[in-house]
Amino acid sequence: MTAATATGPAATVRGAPLGRLLGAELRWVLRRPRTIAFLVLFALVPVVIGAGVAIADRAGGPGRGLIGAVAGNGLVLPVAALTVSLALLLPLAVAMAAADALAGESAAGTLRGLLVAPVGRLRLVVMKAFGVLVVAAAATLVIAVLGVLCGLVVVGWAEGQMVTLSGTTLGFGEAMGRVALAAAWTTGQLLAVGAVALAVSSLTEHPLVVLAAVLGGVIVSGVLAAIPALSWLQPYLLTTGWSAGADVLRDPLPLDGLGESTLRALCYLVVGAGVTVARMLRRDA
Amino acid sequence: MRRFGRPVAAAVAVAGLVGLGLLAVPAGAGAQPELPPVTPEELVRSVLEAKPGPFAGTVEAENALGLPALPGLPAAAADGTSTARVWAGDERQGRVQLPTSDSERTFVTDGATFWTWDSDTREVTTGSRAAQPGRGPAVDPATAAGELIDRLGGSSTLAVDGTAEVAGRPAYELVLAPQPTERTLLREIRIAVDAEKRMPLRLVVLANGSPDPALRIGFTDVAFGPQDPALFTFTPPPGSTVRTAPAERPGNRRGAPNAQVRTVGDGWDAVHVAERGAQAPGNIPDLDRIGTRVSGPWGSGRLITSVVGSVLVTDDGRIAAGAVPEQVLTEALTR
Repeated sequence: MTAATATGPAATVRGAPLGRLLGAELRWVLRRPRTIAFLVLFALVPVVIGAGVAIADRAGGPGRGLIGAVAGNGLVLPVAALTVSLALLLPLAVAMAAADALAGESAAGTLRGLLVAPVGRLRLVVMKAFGVLVVAAAATLVIAVLGVLCGLVVVGWAEGQMVTLSGTTLGFGEAMGRVALAAAWTTGQLLAVGAVALAVSSLTEHPLVVLAAVLGGVIVSGVLAAIPALSWLQPYLLTTGWSAGADVLRDPLPLDGLGESTLRALCYLVVGAGVTVARMLRRDA
Repeated sequence: MRRFGRPVAAAVAVAGLVGLGLLAVPAGAGAQPELPPVTPEELVRSVLEAKPGPFAGTVEAENALGLPALPGLPAAAADGTSTARVWAGDERQGRVQLPTSDSERTFVTDGATFWTWDSDTREVTTGSRAAQPGRGPAVDPATAAGELIDRLGGSSTLAVDGTAEVAGRPAYELVLAPQPTERTLLREIRIAVDAEKRMPLRLVVLANGSPDPALRIGFTDVAFGPQDPALFTFTPPPGSTVRTAPAERPGNRRGAPNAQVRTVGDGWDAVHVAERGAQAPGNIPDLDRIGTRVSGPWGSGRLITSVVGSVLVTDDGRIAAGAVPEQVLTEALTR
């Protein structure tokens, strides 16, 4: 009894084990109809691109650019689908998850329950961040896996090989490695978006503000990058590095662009995490 | 937790911002390296004699030449930044890859055969090396700088102006400037020469009236040492169209035979005047859209200017071009 009272206050602060918290968050995130709807939508992206390319390929020669490179070269499809989706669709999904995580709970009045529950604030942030991570990883995984399947079935492949943009051919194993690299890099960029979205989410009670901030940020970044007089701003923008996704299709593999954009994403991630934690430690429901 | 957590979290956020700032600051711009003094003549000779051996690197070209957008010109001719990945082997082996955001062009030679690849059209062009006019793409700084030193030696002042660090390697700055009597648009040409390998690492062209370079081609990253031999051969990928380049007689360059070029003046303000001759009309771009109309005692025509040079195309089919202002062109036409 004495032992129980001694550990009592600590137990109330520490609360439930982290694994159980994360499991609960995972179930909560993945059971939400909007998450499932988004994942189905992401599954359609490679299917639509693959079908479009296959039809266009029959009608005429290969098109230009990344989508054109997919024709008859199915293993490029997952990379092309990831690059296309990263422009707007994937950030939207991550922003939605982050908006629901804190601002959404606040708007629904359920954040109060979480804040008074025997769960440390830091653990709460970790749990919510885990939910966003799951959505980001699930979305890229769905695109990558469906991209490979659809590339092999609908588009067809060049004798089991991937033809790189540089004109060399990679075997199936190495091609899968390149797709995995693209998926991992994309997830990293999405985590940066998610961290910033979570920070906005911790500062507001309106989920729509989070969506508007993230989508506005992505669009404004694109506009700023297009203004030559503001070219000095480009190294600070997360979206500047997003064209590096196509680098996985070059041979020999250039790591400069991928590495630099990942470091930039890491900085955004740290800023977002810092702001979120600083805000949530003091937040009253 | 609540007492200490907030300052720590805030510090983490600030650290992220600082990291972002550090990433954005361009590397380099370090102190000038200390190197033993060298005379310009020695430096030029050592460049022409140098055999840098195999290397791999990245070349970046910043173009502010202000060239008009002509159909048929490569995208790198327009103002902006373009990148090339370069590999050089032992004996006339080379590989150049020109990436754009979503495509790539590759040029490979193993010394005897060359291949070019364009990812947009998926076309491979191949042929024997002797048929390829010129020595590889002009973006290679070694070739570009060597030719310039040769041609401009007479009417210029040549000096070694301190040192610089290019692609992390110490280099001499060789400066080629026109004599004051030369009536040219160019101010000076700076070539950074690697102190050890004596290979040009960077070429900067400065024009009058602007502190910023009109053209800067240089390595951002270079590593000397043996290269993978597989880089210098090319197997056309499945699904590509392979064309064999027609064998050209050496010296028979495109457009050259039916144009008679005479040079007025010499050095920096030399003007090349050509008779357009009986060329197919398809070769002439629509000048009405890019030039300005000018006329004088020499006739009338269209003037196309850029930061480093001017071209005058007269209505009677003469073309005058040079790194000079308009007045020098019209004087050359009247002569």
